[in-house]
Amino acid sequence: MTQAHHTSPIPRASFTELRWNNWLLALIAALVVTVGAIILLPPEAAFWISGAMWALFAASLVVNAWGRYKGGLLVAPAIALLFTMNIFPLMWSLGLSFFSYRANRMRTPVFVGLDNYEKIVTDPAVWEHLHTTAILAIITVVVQMVVGFLLAMLFAKQFPLRRYLLILVLTPMMLSFVAVGAFFRYYYEPTFGLLSQVVRLFTGEPYILLSSTTGAMAGIVFADAWMWSPFVMLLVLAGLVSVPKYLYEAAAIDRVSGWRRFWSITFPYIRGLLLLALLFRTIEAFKLFDIVFLLTEGGPGTSTETIAIYVYRQAIQFNKTSDSTAMSYILLFIVIVLTNLYLYLANRRAKEA
Amino acid sequence: MSWHYRLTAFAGTAAVAGLMSFGVATPASAEEIVLKMAVPDWPPTRIMKDLFDKNYKAPSGNDVKLDIDFIPWPDYYTRLNASLTSGEKKYNMAVSDSQWLGAFIEGGYYRKINDLIDADPGLKAVLDDMHPAPLQAYATYPYKSQNYYGFPQMPDILITYYRKDVLCNEEEQKNFQAKYNQKLPCTPEEMDDVDWDMWEKFGEFFQRKKGDMLAGQPADDDFYGIAYQAGKAYDFNTMQINGFIWQYGGNIWDETQAPKGHAEGVVNSPEAVKALDHYLRLTKYMPPVVKTGGMDIFKTDELFREGKVAMIVQWIGFGESTINPQTSKVADKVDFALMPGLRGSDGKIIRWSNIGGQPFVIMTWTDDKQIKEAVDFVKWWLSAEVQHQFAAAGGQSAIKSVYNDPKYVTYRPWNRTWAPGLEWQKDTWHIPEFFELLVEGQEQYDLAITGKQDAKTTLDNIAAFQEKLLKEAGHIQE
Repeated sequence: MTQAHHTSPIPRASFTELRWNNWLLALIAALVVTVGAIILLPPEAAFWISGAMWALFAASLVVNAWGRYKGGLLVAPAIALLFTMNIFPLMWSLGLSFFSYRANRMRTPVFVGLDNYEKIVTDPAVWEHLHTTAILAIITVVVQMVVGFLLAMLFAKQFPLRRYLLILVLTPMMLSFVAVGAFFRYYYEPTFGLLSQVVRLFTGEPYILLSSTTGAMAGIVFADAWMWSPFVMLLVLAGLVSVPKYLYEAAAIDRVSGWRRFWSITFPYIRGLLLLALLFRTIEAFKLFDIVFLLTEGGPGTSTETIAIYVYRQAIQFNKTSDSTAMSYILLFIVIVLTNLYLYLANRRAKEA
Repeated sequence: MSWHYRLTAFAGTAAVAGLMSFGVATPASAEEIVLKMAVPDWPPTRIMKDLFDKNYKAPSGNDVKLDIDFIPWPDYYTRLNASLTSGEKKYNMAVSDSQWLGAFIEGGYYRKINDLIDADPGLKAVLDDMHPAPLQAYATYPYKSQNYYGFPQMPDILITYYRKDVLCNEEEQKNFQAKYNQKLPCTPEEMDDVDWDMWEKFGEFFQRKKGDMLAGQPADDDFYGIAYQAGKAYDFNTMQINGFIWQYGGNIWDETQAPKGHAEGVVNSPEAVKALDHYLRLTKYMPPVVKTGGMDIFKTDELFREGKVAMIVQWIGFGESTINPQTSKVADKVDFALMPGLRGSDGKIIRWSNIGGQPFVIMTWTDDKQIKEAVDFVKWWLSAEVQHQFAAAGGQSAIKSVYNDPKYVTYRPWNRTWAPGLEWQKDTWHIPEFFELLVEGQEQYDLAITGKQDAKTTLDNIAAFQEKLLKEAGHIQE
């Protein structure tokens, strides 16, 4: 017999009743106290007092749910953790984005409404960085999709040493960004680097890839694609092996051309996974930071500085806290729009199919 | 085991434990006080921790512990900044880069120490004995004011590291004489007298292809004459360029002239443009990585230790690993001299350079007991005896009576450059907006170094940016 059979739920409290399970009253009290504390008390006291009130509200929810919503209670710890570590900071930073605030100044935040957003949208530097990011993202995602797809086609076939080669090919995406960045930094280095040494065998001159904008872009795209093409391959490969053999056998009997066989049988099975790979890689490419920072620091000048590096400089190096939170929200918005666009397309295709 | 045996054993153990705890119990007056400190992870701080653990006894009789977080240099600003701005109040003290003073003082993190100095004649005497250049750079905010915030931990300057095996080689000496009709310098004293024009000749002369003769042997790889920092990250081109600008009689935006001093017309003055042109001209003789904006201080260090370049300009902080055969291929072939400069009309070399090094700071939330111990610790660190030990282990001292002691130059081969080098040091900005100024400068200089724009455009852009930013921040008023 479980505990729940013994304890019947505590009767619901009416709104004005001072009882432990009166969560509605606790919620209102918490709201009032928080607002009052922020206005009247010094920040530190306000923080702890409103924190305590919200803890009380959480406790009243638990008491109310005890014996009534068992499922809810079971997921409550996970939700509580998500809320404190994730949702609360996210909301807090959203709030900050409407204030003028720098983390390393003593001044209290001043409400400025949409000023930060206006400043960002009209700032040519932001557009320049978005432009750079878009170019890098488009090229690197296209390269990854093509290479990943071709690799998957290769590994869908059986050949000697296939398993070992597969492990080798998958290794890059398991490495840490810093390791890959450091590795490619040396790879491209004109004095010690492998690339330069090989080119020097033919030309006699050291090869300086990262000295031009195009070269730096190519270097970043190559490193990023090297790392993430295997990820695309893995997803596509999963699609390829799920195609039933009998379809190919039937096609063989009908003497269908290879091209037709691919478009009519293989492609429909991997389309969903391809879109998924595209979605993941686009979101990641949009946040491109580590490899660029390690390889070029955004140089020459700012020609390869992605928007993520720009936000990092604003937030961490310059302590322009509220400007950078606003910028982060604009980025989040862009990524959400992109994601939904993909999902919409994917769903429409699925319905057509 | 019978029960009474167990009981006896238990009683015995308890008695021993009791006796032991009684035996080691400290007198009631002694307290354990922990100083929690954030420091960059490199030899000068490691040596400090080592000396502290071995020798330090607090004069108060308290049991003082130094709890240090060693943080890698490239990560250090980000980590310290995050800790301070988050309000976690984790550290009582830090070894801070001097440029960060303004940013962290305005945030209310670094404690003003004028009251501590006034209350302690011993401490005042030590600071009075300090060379003014590092003291102003590491302690004052606003720069060169009478408001003190820090005590020097490791002072540092840029000097020349050079390959004596290459420069003193007879063949090279002969060829150099034949080509330029000048003697190729060899001893540290001769190298002290080298100006940037001579450096340019070194750059041209020592450029060798793999297989060419170098100091009587075929070179095993391409070899280059000269290198100095020209990297995009952090301050890895500004630190060298500032020196050139000051040597030419130009200036960076001077915060001691605020709010009247402008950036436009100063930062992009004709002298500054000439200086930047000179700086850029020398880069064409450097290893090719210079064209990528990757020539930071770690790269010049690596190129030199790997034996790819005849001479570099470098911080003294890298000296220790250069003369260690385990980390350096040129450990027994290296010597040190003053950084080159610009020869003035009187024939003397103008050597202005940007000072390096870091101060200790105390945080505002450190309590009275901790402050007392922190001050005692700093006095111990700056005492002549410990400063000598630090210098003997590879560090530097900014205290005149210490570095003027004849023993001082015997500790390390670069120490002879220290006293004369200190006379030529200035520092970059200390204002809270320093990082914005720094990043814009780094990006613009990087465009010039990688050949995307000329010196004039570069400095015009920097001047316009600084004028706008500094006006917005109130540092320049009409």
